[in-house]
Amino acid sequence: MPIDQSPVRGAIDIGSNTIHIVVAHSTPDDLDILDDEVDLVRIGESVTTTGGISDQKRDETFAVLQRYKTLAEQLGAANILVVATEAIRKATNSSTFLEQMQQETGLTVHLISGDVEALLTFLGATYETVKEANPDAPLAVMDLGGGSTELITAHGPHITWLTSIPIGSGWLHDRYMPSDPPHAEELVAARTFLQGYFQEMQVQQEVSTLIATGGSANSLLFLAQHADFLDASVHHLTIDALKQCESLLTSTPAAAIAERYGQPLERTRILPAGCLVIQEMMARFQLTEIQVSPHGIREGVLLAYARYGEQWLERLQEEARNMCLDKPEAGESIPLQHDETSDNSAYNKPFARSGQMMLHERLHKLLDWRDEVLKQEDSEAVHKMRVASRRFRAILDACEPCCDARRFQKVYREIKQMADLLGAARDTDVMLQKLQEQHEEVPLEEQAGVAWLIDRLETYRKEKQRALEKYFGNLDKETLKRRVESCLPKGAQNDG
Amino acid sequence: MAKAKAIGKLDCQAPTGEIARLIARIRLEEMYDWTQYVGSPYYTKELHNLRIAAKRLRYTLEMFEEVLPEHSKDIVEELTQLQDELGLLHDSDVLIALLRLCLGGQESGTAYQKALAHVEKQKRKKKLMVPPELVASILDPANTPSAEERYGLEHLLMQEQHIREERYHTFHEHWRWLQKQDFRREIVHMLDQF
Repeated sequence: MPIDQSPVRGAIDIGSNTIHIVVAHSTPDDLDILDDEVDLVRIGESVTTTGGISDQKRDETFAVLQRYKTLAEQLGAANILVVATEAIRKATNSSTFLEQMQQETGLTVHLISGDVEALLTFLGATYETVKEANPDAPLAVMDLGGGSTELITAHGPHITWLTSIPIGSGWLHDRYMPSDPPHAEELVAARTFLQGYFQEMQVQQEVSTLIATGGSANSLLFLAQHADFLDASVHHLTIDALKQCESLLTSTPAAAIAERYGQPLERTRILPAGCLVIQEMMARFQLTEIQVSPHGIREGVLLAYARYGEQWLERLQEEARNMCLDKPEAGESIPLQHDETSDNSAYNKPFARSGQMMLHERLHKLLDWRDEVLKQEDSEAVHKMRVASRRFRAILDACEPCCDARRFQKVYREIKQMADLLGAARDTDVMLQKLQEQHEEVPLEEQAGVAWLIDRLETYRKEKQRALEKYFGNLDKETLKRRVESCLPKGAQNDG
Repeated sequence: MAKAKAIGKLDCQAPTGEIARLIARIRLEEMYDWTQYVGSPYYTKELHNLRIAAKRLRYTLEMFEEVLPEHSKDIVEELTQLQDELGLLHDSDVLIALLRLCLGGQESGTAYQKALAHVEKQKRKKKLMVPPELVASILDPANTPSAEERYGLEHLLMQEQHIREERYHTFHEHWRWLQKQDFRREIVHMLDQF
């Protein structure tokens, strides 16, 4: 069926900052967008301040939804699908709010989880890309929000990994660079933080294309085009254009930029932070340009509905659950659960069950570094694997009282052996790095001594690398995983 | 490195939030057990153990972040800084120990024998700052340093001792500040909150 004869549907997403609508003819793989609007309501502001959605925000949301409903009906929408995300998830009065919206507008608002949100964003942001010449190319989508960034990697339409990083442009701005414009030292601190964080993030695949979506990415593209850093017809941001944006944003007050380029002041204030996050994510993937997509969740909702009909949300929830089984997470935080959002349920979850999950996740994270250590391409891989081994041991120590003693000791010894080998290599690397730096700086007559020690340490380091190679060559990852899984007896995990 | 304090008996079906607090309190006590050595700059092993204990507390707070108050993140930052400072101190201690062994052990005859005997003795007591394998590799009689190389090593040792003093000072000042802030009480208070 030609796309212009396919059904017209509307999708609305109620986010932390904005409410968006898109109305389009939709098929399972394509959209013909008839209208697209956005309103800055900032529900998140009220939730952050008071924990709940204020009456004023509720009324504003109601007014926007009524207007959007009229718009969609005028364009002939057969269905209007509404989803709500982070701010509503966090709000203490979210149930009341959702009921009121349904009663007052007749629209059912679906409160979706972070994982479903990531899946919908991916669908929306990539549907145009996957139609192109190389539909199976490795790609990633980053949805840069105010409080978090969703990162999804895929081969064409097939998602391989997704994670939610607790760093957003608003968060980075508030925490590291609150001055207007940000000071040079704030920039250095923010950049150092991001570099450290992204370095630790173990992405499951490298990608050749990164698609950024969300308000900050689109505002930066707008700024780059209107400040003549980019041609107005291009929809990708180069690293050079981003550096020029950074330079402008860090030398000019937000109000002046907002006025000059007709952008909302609140958005402009957090743009320097968004600019840094994108640049560092590009560096992490070793990319010099990214595509910027104006599409996201709402386009994803339309595509999902066209694919799965009334069961669209159940299908996505199932897909998200399946992906979560193997989902590694970025940074340091370990989510104790994937399918619920209430802090209380994490608190009350029986320790045996949380412990099992933490052991499983941290072991995966640890073993994922094995190949990097053997390849010797990343000089920090040994360090990162050693840190991962320490974190895993910390969880082992915590879980010991719940474990089968004999099985626990066996696993503990094995992990200790691995950690000792990594430690010997890493400690030598630290000394070598320090001495190599000093070698350049000491007077000529002292250099011979430093060079002698470097030579001796390098010989020793090679021995340690051989020991690591031998150890990892003999390591059966699956057996170790089974041993770890069996440490916590099944009975101990039963939480009724 | 001191072994982690055993957690003891646990009700494995108890809420994760409760267990997290229990384990964190044990790790906190473990860390403070080593703080009696903070004012003794050359108790290198003990300061290293303090670092490891701080790290264990930090990892505990991080792994249970979801069930602890938001303020736990500030405490993690403080612990990370402490751990980094003690880490640098330890790096200096290892290098100094290694250089002393190199300089004491590279002459043939008595000094060399003495260095090896010293290593063996410390190894038996498990008190070595430098891994025995590394010592054996460095003290290879076939690769002794020349007079010029020894001169460089002597200077390197002096320089590192100076760096070590600065590093200890940085750590010590930070620790005093934490004491003033009643850091321990702050952690206990955080763990008492839900």
